[in-house]
Parts: sequence; C-alpha cells; structure tokens
Amino acid sequence: MSSPLPSGPRGFSRRTLLAVSAAGLAALATGCTAAPADEREKATSQQADELGAQVAVQETVASAFVAAGAADPALAAEVADLAAQADEQLTRLRAAAPGASSSASAPVAGAPPAPETRAWLRAQVATAAASHATACLDQSGARAALLGSIAAGLSGQDGRLA
Amino acid sequence: MADDSEPGTLDQDTENAALREALGALHAAVWGYGVVGAALDAGSQGLAQASETALRDVRDQVVTLLTERRADPVRAEGAYSLPFPVLSPADAAALAVVLEDGVSAAWVRVLDQAEERTTRQLAMTALTATEVRAVGWRGTAGQTPVTRAFPGLPTS
Repeated sequence: MSSPLPSGPRGFSRRTLLAVSAAGLAALATGCTAAPADEREKATSQQADELGAQVAVQETVASAFVAAGAADPALAAEVADLAAQADEQLTRLRAAAPGASSSASAPVAGAPPAPETRAWLRAQVATAAASHATACLDQSGARAALLGSIAAGLSGQDGRLA
Repeated sequence: MADDSEPGTLDQDTENAALREALGALHAAVWGYGVVGAALDAGSQGLAQASETALRDVRDQVVTLLTERRADPVRAEGAYSLPFPVLSPADAAALAVVLEDGVSAAWVRVLDQAEERTTRQLAMTALTATEVRAVGWRGTAGQTPVTRAFPGLPTS
C-alpha cells in the first residue's frame, strides 16, 4: 500500500489538479483571444457572428441585474457580487468579439416587484447560461473556453439564486 | 504518446492530451473526496458522496473515450499530496473547493484544445456540474463570493 500522503511534486495544486498549460489560456485571462498568427484562433465568419450574438446575450443578463435591483433594492444588495461578475463577463466577451455591435441598453423586460424579482432574475441568468453553453459547442479554441467558462459561472449564479 | 501536431492546430492529439489531463484531475479529485469525507461532519456527508459519485461517473466516461481511441488513459496514483492539512470540516470543505476548481481548470483546457463538438459537449456538461458543486462547497467553507465569473480560467 502506498503512502497516503506522499510529499513531492505530485501535489494537487501544482501538477495534477491544475495541469493547465498557461500558453493556451493565458490570452483569455487578459480578455484576448490568442495571437493573430495562431491559426486555430482564427474564427470563421459564422463563429464570429455567433460570438457577437453572445455579447448581446450577456448584455441582456447584465441589464437584468440592473432591472432587478431597481425593482427590489434589498435583492440588489444581496446580489451585488453576482452583478459585478456579470459585468466582468461582458467586458471579457466584448474584448473577445471586438467586431460585435454593442447596444447601449440591451432590451430586457421590466423586472417584477418583490417577491417575484428573484425568480425572474434567476430565469434570466439561467437562460443566458444555457445560451452560452450551446454557443460554446460551435466555437473552438480560446473562444470555446471563454464561453464555456462564462456559461459555467452563470450556472453557479443560478444555483446561488435558487 | 508524442504530440506530432503542428503548433497552433487543434486535432485529436491535442484533444486527447487535454482529456488525459482532465482524467488525471478526476483521479485526484476522486481520491481527494475520500479525505474530504473523512473530515466532514454528518450534515455534509451527502454532498460529499454525491460529488464523488458524479466525478467517478465522468471519470469512467473519459476512461472509456480514451480507451476507445487507444489514447492511453492515465491511471490513478496510489495517493496524492494535499495542499494543506485537513483537520476540520472547514478544511474538508476548502479541500473540496480545491478539488472542484482543479477539475474545472482541466475541463476548460479541454474546451480550449478539443477538435470534436461531442468532446466540447462532454466538457461543457462536466464543467457546469463542477462549478455548481464548487458553489456549494465554497459556501460550506465560508468563502465569499461563492460564485466565480470565470471558473476554470487562469486568473489574469
């Protein structure tokens, strides 16, 4: 039987669990797709269009947090961290899809008053998560990784709002 | 297996390499949940067992996929070193967060390296489930915020 807790380089944090080469994903961490010379990061026009569509999806969910906060100030305070994360995601998506047209105020239906506001916001978040997850499948490389990560993050928010 | 891919291209070699990394993370996480479960209080045992079962199921899927491709699925180590001592239920929950975050990073890597849509589907499903579990564990561990904007992506 092997030693239960061997010391050495085979640690969770450094090798096995975080075995992610920084090279492929480093550009994502700064909001950019990989270098233009990187052939695999060249998006087809369809992929570019679809990524642009996900910017609009994210604009909608970011706006939903604003609308929910206006309808239920107590909820606004409770979900301020989630709203900030949605804004971060939007910024990163816009950086990854520089050609996407940006709407100054994405259309979002008015949020209902409390106590229905939370359920409405949760539905908006879940819808965006599902949209990003679906779109991820038809992307590749850094764009797929970014969309997938954002979709998972929003799914986590969905769970938090439950 | 040597990676003969040209730099910057996605093919089954890049995909399989990423899947092998994910499998390594899954092996470690399954092992780690044994440590988590031993230190948790009774109220959180169900979550730990459900998490471990989910990870085992995905691990088995990846083993099957790599085996079918003759792509040398990595084996589990006998044991792994821990990132910190696990002496309390709070430590155990914090370790569960580390385990799930490690698996998330591996699945994002698969999304980045995958050639086939079906593989991205597998990765997307697994990544989502992992982050949802991680949200629960961050709450149990008393971490804030419990959600992440970009699970699995390296921090800038």
